Amino acid sequence: MSEKLLDGEIRKQVEEIFGNMRSEVRILFFVDSKRCEFCETIEKLLDELVELTDKISYDKITAGSTEANDHGIEMTPAMIPLTPEGDDKGIRFYGIPSGHEFGTFLKTLVDFSAGAVPEISERSLERLDSIDDPVDIKVFVTTSCPYCPKAVLTAFGFAFASSKITASMVEASEFEELSKKFRVSSVPQVVINSSRSFVGAHPEEEYLTEIMKAVTG
Amino acid sequence: MNAFEVGGLNIAKKIKDYYDVIIIGGGPGGITAAIYAVQGGLSPLVIERAIEGGQMNNTETIENWPGFKTISGVELSERMAEHARHFGADSLNSEVTSIDAEGKLKKVILETGKMIEARVLVIATGANPRKLDVPGEGVFSGKGVSYCATCDGHFFSGKHVAVVGGGNSAMAETLYLLKIVRKITIIQDLLKLTGDKMLQDRVKASGKVDFVLGSKVRGIEGDEKVERLLVEKSDTGEQISVDIDGVFVFIGTTPNSSLLRGKVDLNRYGYVLVDSKMETSVPGVYGIGDVVEKEVRQIATAAGDAAVAMHHAILDHFD
Ligand SMILES: Cc1cc2nc3c(=O)[nH]c(=O)nc-3n(C[C@H](O)[C@H](O)[C@H](O)COP(=O)(O)OP(=O)(O)OC[C@H]3O[C@@H](n4cnc5c(N)ncnc54)[C@H](O)[C@@H]3O)c2cc1C
Repeated sequence: MSEKLLDGEIRKQVEEIFGNMRSEVRILFFVDSKRCEFCETIEKLLDELVELTDKISYDKITAGSTEANDHGIEMTPAMIPLTPEGDDKGIRFYGIPSGHEFGTFLKTLVDFSAGAVPEISERSLERLDSIDDPVDIKVFVTTSCPYCPKAVLTAFGFAFASSKITASMVEASEFEELSKKFRVSSVPQVVINSSRSFVGAHPEEEYLTEIMKAVTG
Repeated sequence: MNAFEVGGLNIAKKIKDYYDVIIIGGGPGGITAAIYAVQGGLSPLVIERAIEGGQMNNTETIENWPGFKTISGVELSERMAEHARHFGADSLNSEVTSIDAEGKLKKVILETGKMIEARVLVIATGANPRKLDVPGEGVFSGKGVSYCATCDGHFFSGKHVAVVGGGNSAMAETLYLLKIVRKITIIQDLLKLTGDKMLQDRVKASGKVDFVLGSKVRGIEGDEKVERLLVEKSDTGEQISVDIDGVFVFIGTTPNSSLLRGKVDLNRYGYVLVDSKMETSVPGVYGIGDVVEKEVRQIATAAGDAAVAMHHAILDHFD
């Protein structure tokens, strides 16, 4: 596999987008201790991105290590982009962010780097503030699903705004067992605290209402 | 694994409070409008709630957009979005939740509560898949009922699924699903398929499709997920049950016009009424593409509407 993942045209577009970056962002990249095909693809992708900008770096961390456990990483491949200040905002990518999710990945990195804060309404911020216990949001996606990036980005926005929320993109075909467990057959499927779930990219207010239902039981 | 797509990204870009033209919906109609707006010296903003390209993203291959003998819907979406972005059109990934089109300055309210103003509004919200409206459909949505083959086909690998509908979309999506599933049963209320002959021939030649024609789906049943469809023969009223693992519904579309109810004139099905300039009942508000009342809903006609609308918008509302 010496061929590049990103072809010439995409590289040009990515470079243009990276032009908006300001501070350096670091990605924590969690891999399995055993051989893992998907991990290798992500590493290749990260290496190609690092070639295109000096504003991205990554640390390769083995699952099961103290650092992985500290961040609550239980499956691989996983990535946590950190803010330029080095903060973990509770945003996770499980699986290869390819297809439409490549845009989600790039947007997250560039927004972090440029210090852009996800826009959320005052009302939603107040509701998010009232959350006291940890909330886990998993957004199951396939990379050919056009509605998925929005469902992921809305959850990321909530995680960014609330230290109680962890939001993950989970690429369904790479995590088949987990997808089966939650009976995923349409995407985006949003699973909250492994108990509640809904399908579709709801607008912010409705989306948060679903999350609050899981929180208040 | 499929390729890497950048999409119509609005990255770290500051969205202004005013644009000459706000285009709601980033399908082929909306993107074309943005391109014409820039060429006419205006500043446009495209607001798209999912990703740019609209329904084209759900389409496996497109074979009637000139210049490409065959192109994937995702690639055409990418190319169009890139074209508009390259011209300097701004785009925003958000949902418009209400509009105020009364005054000279039109107001658009986003899901985040943010308000943006514009001199001209272009409604390019397109259409969404129509639902069957039968018992079980809501309960099993996401549990075996799907409206997007490219999104969900993967989950039915090696399985037997039903495709409801017999038009062009149903044929095209059947051809896509055939690469993934074991068997397909096509259910259509008419006695014959209505999709293009070329597509029908390819579906029939696959040998993996059987047909239940002249029959309506009356219900979707199962335990925790879809297991069978209740189908009624239109001539005899006889009900049969068809065992399947999933059902894909392609029975046409409904307009995304709830935003406009009470604001601009709609026909009784909810399609936006426009004049020959593509202007709605409210001056300065234009309607283009699939959301508009018309006979032919295609990429080419959406793009055509956009060209007409922007031509008149520039002449009539800017000096
Ligand atoms: C399966 C399938 C196959 C097809 N194949 C072909 C083909 O081969 N050739 C062809 O010419 N045509 C084909 N079509 C039809 C073609 O895709 C449509 O005619 C065309 O996409 C219409 O363009 P549009 O810009 O009007 O709207 P759409 O493509 O529907 O785009 C509208 C956009 O508006 C967004 N939107 C809606 N409401 C809001 C809101 N409130 N706020 C923000 N954004 C909003 C939506 O998310 C959507 O992206 C096909 C359609 C389907 C479903």
